[in-house]
Amino acid sequence: MPKLVQYRHRCIGCAVCCAMQPRYWRMSRKDGKATLLNADLKKSVYVLGVSNQVAEEMVEVAEACPVRIIKIF
Amino acid sequence: MPELLSPVGSFESLRAAIDGGADAIYFGTEQLNMRAKSINSFSLEEMEAVAQICKTHGVSAYLTLNTVMYDHDMQLIKTVLRRVKECGVDAVIASDFAVMERCREMQIPLHISTQANVSNVETVRFFAQFADVIVLARELSLRQIDHIAREIKRQDIRGVSGERMRLEVFVHGALCMAVSGKCYLSLHEQNASANRGACTQNCRRPYAVRDLETGNELVVDNEYIMSPKDLCTLSFLDEVIRSGADVLKIEGRGKSADYVYTTTQCYRQAIDAVASGTFAADKVKGWMEELSKVYHRGFWEGYYLGRKLGAWTTSPGSAALERKVYVGKGSNYFSKIAVAEFEIEAGALAKGDTIMVIGRNTGVLKLSLEEMVVNGEYASSARKGDLLTLPIGRKVLKTDKLYKLVTNDA
Ligand code: SF4
Repeated sequence: MPKLVQYRHRCIGCAVCCAMQPRYWRMSRKDGKATLLNADLKKSVYVLGVSNQVAEEMVEVAEACPVRIIKIF
Repeated sequence: MPELLSPVGSFESLRAAIDGGADAIYFGTEQLNMRAKSINSFSLEEMEAVAQICKTHGVSAYLTLNTVMYDHDMQLIKTVLRRVKECGVDAVIASDFAVMERCREMQIPLHISTQANVSNVETVRFFAQFADVIVLARELSLRQIDHIAREIKRQDIRGVSGERMRLEVFVHGALCMAVSGKCYLSLHEQNASANRGACTQNCRRPYAVRDLETGNELVVDNEYIMSPKDLCTLSFLDEVIRSGADVLKIEGRGKSADYVYTTTQCYRQAIDAVASGTFAADKVKGWMEELSKVYHRGFWEGYYLGRKLGAWTTSPGSAALERKVYVGKGSNYFSKIAVAEFEIEAGALAKGDTIMVIGRNTGVLKLSLEEMVVNGEYASSARKGDLLTLPIGRKVLKTDKLYKLVTNDA
């Protein structure tokens, strides 16, 4: 299963991911960074298993993130 | 005499700014600053150390909080401002009204960022309800600054603290082609908002102009059509000071510690020379030589002298005359005899080389290798794996880096 990964500590809170895929991303009101919903925290990165189709949809988001901290593996 | 304000993006450059003679420093924290992408910002925990170091050295510390702010940032703004109060940071630099309002509520001294594009005295009066210092738009001429400064005195415009409003101007560093940094190029090209600190520096690349109808390319004599040279006011700093600017700011939170040290030191000496009436052409020449050694894209005097924007860079990177090459890191320090040991990890050093040590505690030290002790013995060269010992008065840490300075002929 493809994995969606976010290096959250480097997020600058621009909200682009959230605007593109609101079902997966939410802006945290607590620290102003984007939260990948339902993701697991593994060694300071957030990881979410997704279907092939979702992974494909996320390619666009990963490319749009200005600090390139969203990766698909 | 005006206050000299230096940029700080790391503990190394903090030390460098203090050693260079800054009266005040500015820094960023978390993601809410215009250099968010260049990772050169301090964490909320580190803010206390920054404030403490500044206090010890009698230097003021200002926090920049000057990005575009969204609703989801409100809690973080509060958290940051609470930390500002706790740590005793002297003021916040901002341009968003939400931050201004919060600062007023929490009675935190505020400086209005250049992002607010303040260009006239009425606007200064408006912001006086919230702030004590105004960072003027970078597009003003000295005559306009002089006028605003006189009017502030004449109308006795006072800020929140009850003191007369103070004006801050940029004296040195990178310029942006957009008016007061409101640039949308990165957003347009890469979806990266420069106004959230994610500037991708599209303006610094070469461009071609093509006629879409004929497909012909227009001949432009310089392809860097959007990349202005760096601002440098040193040669007329006496005039800048005479115009009534109270704070002189150096740009460059993303720059290295040696850049901060050299620019701060040159401007410190220049301000002191103006104060003592010894500011002269031969001194300017010396300072300019120093400044051209560190990172720059060529210099021009900005809009201050009323000239048009027209000085563009001709190459992609730095035009610095010197370059530092990494050779090793600190490995030990013998306090009793004030000797530092470095492990050489790359390249080689020879007697006569000029080296530079950069560290949190050491700041920026430039030394000439007159005598070399390698692996405990006098030697004339050192290479990878060797241990080099040097007498250094300040404690060298394991995070200290050792560089060799070479002339840049690229
Ligand atoms: S696009 Fe990237 S930087 Fe922007 S909010 Fe999402 S994760 Fe953070």
